[in-house]
Amino acid sequence: MTGTADSDVSEAEPAGGSAQTRGAPRALAGAWLLVKRFLTMREGSITIVTIALAIYFGLSLPVFFSVANLQTLLTYFAWLGILAAGEVFLMINGEIDLSIGGVYLFAPLVFYEVVGGGIPFVPSVIITLIVCMVIGLVNGIVTAVLGVNSFITTLGTLFTLEGMTLIISHAEQLIMPGSANTNTTTGATELGTFGNIFGAGTYSELVWALVIVVILQIVLTRTRWGLHTIAVGSNKVAAAEAGVKVRLVVIRNFMVCSTLAGLVGVLEAMRSSSITPDPGAANSVLLDAIAAAVIGGTLLAGGSGTVVGALIGALFLGMLQDGLAIKGVNADYLDFYLGIAILIAMLINVYVGRTRRRSGVG
Amino acid sequence: MADQVLPGEIVVAPTSADDDVLRVEHLAKRFGPVTALRDVSLHLKKGEVLGLLGDNGAGKSTLVKTICGFQKQDSGQMWLHGEAYEPKSVEQARALGVDVVYQDLALIDELSVYQNMFLCREERMPRLPLLDRRRMKRDAREALNEIGINLPRLDVPVARLSGGQRQAIAVARGVYSQADILLLDEPLAAMGAKEGAMILELIARLKQEGKISIIMILHNYVHVLESCDRVNMIVDGVIAMDKPTAETSVEELTAIVVDEYRRAREAAQAEEAAARA
Repeated sequence: MTGTADSDVSEAEPAGGSAQTRGAPRALAGAWLLVKRFLTMREGSITIVTIALAIYFGLSLPVFFSVANLQTLLTYFAWLGILAAGEVFLMINGEIDLSIGGVYLFAPLVFYEVVGGGIPFVPSVIITLIVCMVIGLVNGIVTAVLGVNSFITTLGTLFTLEGMTLIISHAEQLIMPGSANTNTTTGATELGTFGNIFGAGTYSELVWALVIVVILQIVLTRTRWGLHTIAVGSNKVAAAEAGVKVRLVVIRNFMVCSTLAGLVGVLEAMRSSSITPDPGAANSVLLDAIAAAVIGGTLLAGGSGTVVGALIGALFLGMLQDGLAIKGVNADYLDFYLGIAILIAMLINVYVGRTRRRSGVG
Repeated sequence: MADQVLPGEIVVAPTSADDDVLRVEHLAKRFGPVTALRDVSLHLKKGEVLGLLGDNGAGKSTLVKTICGFQKQDSGQMWLHGEAYEPKSVEQARALGVDVVYQDLALIDELSVYQNMFLCREERMPRLPLLDRRRMKRDAREALNEIGINLPRLDVPVARLSGGQRQAIAVARGVYSQADILLLDEPLAAMGAKEGAMILELIARLKQEGKISIIMILHNYVHVLESCDRVNMIVDGVIAMDKPTAETSVEELTAIVVDEYRRAREAAQAEEAAARA
């Protein structure tokens, strides 16, 4: 939804008449125009802030750009990017999904139970994701067909799923099937291909995140689905009048969001080798995902947003956490900084949005 | 109320001919306690431009939204090209060749000009589920040129355009849709005199080509007499008048409306008197 290349032409035209006499100022104006265009891109401001943060940590912490730390950083942001990408679709749609916290918690338990039933890993993970998709379907139907506000619908499913997780697991930590386990007889740590692909491999989550974000960004900007999602989020009545199947679009996006949350639940459980039924942690995961989406430039009001921005927003949050941890900042300060960062990001977004409308950059 | 004698030529069931592309019979629609359409019957000939007049709340927009498949009637039937016509969605009606330009235009502020023009009739790449943006932009440009509306850029959100430009986009979207029946709900509402003239000219051109039949809601009698073949007036949820425009005049149309106001006032006074007694 950001401006396309041909907008430069129309805006640069007024300076064109006296190009020869005022060559230098014109080049300067052109450069400024580019900077302005970049800043007014939906992802522009958070990209600049993220780069600035990286430079700051890089200069003040020599270890920040070490391979070891970058690998640590991945564990902070890649999975968050996937969650935020799904949430962005619903937020553009004018809805919100709070149940991703519950799905995130519930999915690995489903996987555990299915594997426990004697089904191999791959079909088990597929069954798990289908279960998550059905949860999204329920969210979608209750919201779009029965007319319950999505905040309330998903608040309900959030608690329901968290409760179910606690009941089924007896609130006890479980070992994630397929993850790195120490063989009791040989004492060696074993990790299969399945575990490596589904979260335990060092770059597994990053690859998942990049692939998912690229696909969703293409879906958002280049397909009918994305166009209709924006249309419904921007003006539900007009979209319906034009023939958009509003309910179907909303339900579909709930299903995608929920499935991605389930995938992230499996990936994270695999990475940490354990299923930890802790609703508190899940709720914080949910809020981080929404924060990443919002910081990335997606409006809660619906009608506009960016998947790439959500990934960058997640990277920003991850870097903040990682950098402050290395700096030895008291963990208590983390939420404080995070809160301030969200407020500043939102103020910038409001300002940039206004500038964008005024300057005519699409 | 329904059997009350109304002024003008009352046509309850239209005398339909073989060349009717659309026939509507005894259509009724209520929204809770409000009766929007009481008993509407009308017909549309091939290549004809039918003007629909009526007071605010008379049921014009409800009628249009029922014909275009946006909502379903409570009772009554419709025929399209002589066959029973029961559109279940806007998309289905569109597939059958019935398209509409809504009074509220149904434009999405956040989407660009060409995205709006192709909303729900997107052009896609061959063998790929991706939108063919270049082709849509080109075709949108062509459609707008045909109307005579010149927009410098088609990739700006429509939120930034003037009321007249938005209206032009909505009309262009309807005309471009290849429909053979086009419903226009107040197509000149937000337009200046110059832009309005352009739309009327376009309608005249479409009429001349004779391929498309149009039902047009208007409130300006001069526009109706100028651009329509026939005029129907809805009063209180029924068609109270059906005449070729050649046989009526601004004076007659005005007289009907004045008469309607007088009746409404008398009815209100009678009600008040009854309430007092």
